[in-house]
Amino acid sequence: MNDDELAGAWTTIEPTVDQRRRIDAHVFAWLEARDTTLAAEWLGLLRLRPFSAAGLVAVSAVTVATAPPLMWLALALW
Amino acid sequence: MAAAMPGASVASPLRLLFAALIRPLGGDAEPLSEDAIARLVDQARAGDTGARHTLYVQHVDRVFRTVRGMLRSAADAEDVTQDAMLTVLTSLHKYTPRADARFAAWVMTIAVNTARRRFRRRRPALTPTGELPEIPDDGADPADGLDRARRRRALLIALAELSERERVIVSLRYGAELNASEIGVAVGVEPATIRKILERARTRLGARIEGLLAPAGGMR
Repeated sequence: MNDDELAGAWTTIEPTVDQRRRIDAHVFAWLEARDTTLAAEWLGLLRLRPFSAAGLVAVSAVTVATAPPLMWLALALW
Repeated sequence: MAAAMPGASVASPLRLLFAALIRPLGGDAEPLSEDAIARLVDQARAGDTGARHTLYVQHVDRVFRTVRGMLRSAADAEDVTQDAMLTVLTSLHKYTPRADARFAAWVMTIAVNTARRRFRRRRPALTPTGELPEIPDDGADPADGLDRARRRRALLIALAELSERERVIVSLRYGAELNASEIGVAVGVEPATIRKILERARTRLGARIEGLLAPAGGMR
């Protein structure tokens, strides 16, 4: 077999359409996750999951409100 | 061997559209010149995701068929291609152009290193004689013709009979379409040695494939 014939043989091991789709999906999902900032994640969460987002905001607010007095109490007792 | 294609200059909107259209079909993108690739690398480094995507489309199939020639299964080749392309696209800031090697040679160096890590992890799976076992999965596409499937299987069987180093070198030559100097850069061997190994491996590979495909070769 000459060079061209061997190069032709390699074309038989190209990725199939399904393999290529899986590779593309994995690579671009990873890159998209890497490119997305934390702020954008939060904005996306607010847009797609309003109830979960509201819950998270409520928990965060309660934590912010209760943490300082609890810390003050803990320091006073210590 | 030169990648330069007449008329291939910048990543025009039409070219990007073409790349986007052929991507779902799994085909190679129309090859761009090395100058165009260098411009895309600069744009991708500056945060242009379109340029990054074009670089991906330009190299992903070539990486797959190269590592498929080195590894035992299509699933391994898929994993290695994913990991290698991610490394390429997230390490562009480390790329330094060289006079003796195209950007594709740098991409293939990453692909070879990624595949080698897999070789090391899988070493205990080798048979006691040190030979690779039968091809368990040749990644056949049901849509493929019988003749193409036969030729693929013959190539994979013939490759499995080569040494690891020969498999890597012939895969870089015929899968990645690199020349001896670029293969030397990718594997850290002198080009003269690469040429000798290539000549020997090409003869063995060709004879074995022809034997397997001959009417009495046992492959139907």
